[in-house]
Amino acid sequence: MKHIEKRFDAIVVGAGPAGATAAYQLAKMGYKTLLLERGRTPGSKSMFGGRVYIRPLKDIYEDFEKKAPIHRWVKKERISLVYDESATTIEYTSNKTTSFTTYLTQLSHWMANQAVEQGAILLTEIRVDRLYKEDGRYRGVVVEDEVVKSDVVIDAEGINRLLLEREGIVEKLSPDHVALGVKEVIKLEPDTINNLFGLDNNEGLSWILMGDVTDGIPGGAFIYTNRDSVSLGIVVLLGEAARRIDRHIYILVEELRNHPLLYKYFKDGRIMEYSTHLIPEDPSRLMPKKLYYDGLMIVGDAAGLLLNQGYTYRGVDFAAYSGYIAAKAYEKAHGNGGASEENLKIYQKMLEESFVMKMLRKFSSVSRLMKKERLFSTYPQLINLLASKLMHIEYDSYKLKEAFDEARKGRVGLIHIIKDLWEVSRKL
Amino acid sequence: MPLKIIVGIKWVPNTTSVNIDPKTGTLIREGIPSVVNPHDLTAVEMALKLKDRYGGTVTAISMAPPSALAGLEHVIGMGVDRGILASDRAFAGADTLATSYVLSKVIEKIGEYDLIIMGHETIDSSTAHIGAQVASWLRLPYVYYAVDIEYNEQDRSIIVRRMLENAYETYKVYLPAVVSIAMHTYEPRRVKVSNKLRAKTEDVIQVWTSKDLDIDINCAGLRGSPTVVSAIDFVPKVPRKNLVFKERDPKKAAKWLIDQLIQEGLLEL
Ligand SMILES: Cc1cc2nc3c(=O)[nH]c(=O)nc-3n(C[C@H](O)[C@H](O)[C@H](O)COP(=O)(O)OP(=O)(O)OC[C@H]3O[C@@H](n4cnc5c(N)ncnc54)[C@H](O)[C@@H]3O)c2cc1C
Ligand SMILES: Cc1cc2nc3c(=O)[nH]c(=O)nc-3n(C[C@H](O)[C@H](O)[C@H](O)COP(=O)(O)OP(=O)(O)OC[C@H]3O[C@@H](n4cnc5c(N)ncnc54)[C@H](O)[C@@H]3O)c2cc1C
Repeated sequence: MKHIEKRFDAIVVGAGPAGATAAYQLAKMGYKTLLLERGRTPGSKSMFGGRVYIRPLKDIYEDFEKKAPIHRWVKKERISLVYDESATTIEYTSNKTTSFTTYLTQLSHWMANQAVEQGAILLTEIRVDRLYKEDGRYRGVVVEDEVVKSDVVIDAEGINRLLLEREGIVEKLSPDHVALGVKEVIKLEPDTINNLFGLDNNEGLSWILMGDVTDGIPGGAFIYTNRDSVSLGIVVLLGEAARRIDRHIYILVEELRNHPLLYKYFKDGRIMEYSTHLIPEDPSRLMPKKLYYDGLMIVGDAAGLLLNQGYTYRGVDFAAYSGYIAAKAYEKAHGNGGASEENLKIYQKMLEESFVMKMLRKFSSVSRLMKKERLFSTYPQLINLLASKLMHIEYDSYKLKEAFDEARKGRVGLIHIIKDLWEVSRKL
Repeated sequence: MPLKIIVGIKWVPNTTSVNIDPKTGTLIREGIPSVVNPHDLTAVEMALKLKDRYGGTVTAISMAPPSALAGLEHVIGMGVDRGILASDRAFAGADTLATSYVLSKVIEKIGEYDLIIMGHETIDSSTAHIGAQVASWLRLPYVYYAVDIEYNEQDRSIIVRRMLENAYETYKVYLPAVVSIAMHTYEPRRVKVSNKLRAKTEDVIQVWTSKDLDIDINCAGLRGSPTVVSAIDFVPKVPRKNLVFKERDPKKAAKWLIDQLIQEGLLEL
């Protein structure tokens, strides 16, 4: 094993939003920082749905909204319940917005560039094989037969936590604790996108679909408009998907794209990109017992810090903010004499006090809703049947109550509906 | 005496995603992420193997826009000692003649060298001109399609094996010389973290402009390029049928496929 002479204050593993932001903040505070990424460029291995909430990022990056690679501001939100060839949709439009669409690859790249501008050293195509320990403390990383040393290591390796598994800090991922995202990016001209979705330039759409879009597997589909492309994909519970699908998983997106309701949007597009990625479904179960060790802090998806609100994910802003807090925590630890376990405890404390942990606690039971089949099959069906009774008028017309009773006949009892409604309104 | 090696690397758009502008017929290079021409990584690997075996230094050179610094960092990560980027607006729009002219001027300025190694060809233009032209400018012997090089220190020569369609030729060549390595001959090694750190933190890459080189500006770039692309003809599209068998039974699928092939007259039973 060859020890590299150059020593760093901090080594950050992974240049996703969490790692890139940690490196940015560390370098900005003057620490000698090394950011390592196994992909060809920062973010080249990342994938996400498509929308980022901006508020926390503005605290971290100056002039974020002017400089970051923002595609469109989300001003139109749609949620659809799909049954067969019909959909019932709620649409919310507003000129106010707190989120934007982008490519995660571009955003991670931008964040890593900010880190480099602040003096961090970014090396790509470097895969860390394991964390390096000296006298029981984390003191660097091992890449093939070389060791690079540092005072502190920040693990931002994302959800597939091979390094942490190796250390025995987390267990192997179980298919029932993660969901699988499968996505296509479809190229369309900006004007075409504007016309198809009723948007102005720079205006974006976020569209969540539930029901008959995932072959009945708990999960949902998403559509986000980028500047000159549309991201389209599904998220399904991995365990369920493995049990129920005997075909290649891409079929699910293919079917979504060709869905009678959606076909018209994409028929003239060209598929630019296809990708799949895991996502923590039940973050609480993925969170390591603690997020700090002697010489080590864990941030972002690796720490299970992702909020699933049911109709939206907050992964990027949470990941970035945890990286930011980790950097601040290191500054405090440094001031107190170094990155010992005792001194790094402050990271967990700061995180607990921030919106990150507060929100994660508040929404901790959302993932249990995901296990409720009825929400993904019965209710979309019920609502669409109800709508069809009210809207498809021939000779007779229905009154609401009449239509409702007929729609739910033999499907679900009134008591169940009330209980489920109550449960959803409490957990979401 | 250890070997002083120079390798030429070209920074090319990743052609898996290159498009051709249907109106002008030119490559659309904009916005497409670039990479080091993959066959040049094979050349770099050959150079590093020679360095491992006989000692010496490897210098990578490239004529390209500034973004190619990332390519030089990559090969330094593999173990190349230093990089030189020839970059100047005056070099833009070059055909192969103007490219090889500037590259040979770069090599002249480096001065001390035994062996110049090039890739087989590039993935974006594939003329395979540059090796031969650089050798001509510098009046050096040139061997193309090389798969193996051995160095003889005593008389400062190399034994080069060159691949032909169904035979190998072996040449003895006195140094200095130019050699192009046949594609896919070697698997390029992975980058090392220590080497990459060196690329980022030590001054191992220099950028040379036309002012740094002893060149006639009329021979570089667009002005020095006599070649004109007069037309691009597209290979006509072969009309294809697209049939999909949708059931899952493999036996039926095989039967169906065979029937289709018979119908098309491609198979006789
Ligand atoms: C289908 C899907 C849809 C989503 N939709 C949204 C959304 O709309 N909005 C939102 O905010 N969030 C969304 N998310 C979540 C969001 O993508 C993640 O929460 C976020 O990317 C986490 O950031 P991170 O930096 O922790 O990890 P990542 O972005 O995964 O980055 C980890 C990085 O570490 C690198 N790495 C890993 N191991 C090593 C190693 N050993 N050595 C070197 N480098 C290594 C990886 O290459 C990668 O670049 C979605 C996720 C998925 C899967
Ligand atoms: C008619 C014509 C017009 C052209 N017009 C333009 C233009 O307007 N703009 C433009 O950008 N390009 C243009 N090109 C492309 C450019 O001239 C060639 O790509 C370049 O000269 C190298 O030729 P090649 O790619 O075929 O390399 P090859 O001869 O196939 O390469 C052989 C080897 O030479 C080395 N090598 C090649 N190029 C370089 C380099 N730049 N630096 C270091 N080593 C190198 C590598 O080792 C490579 O493997 C034109 C080409 C032609 C034929």
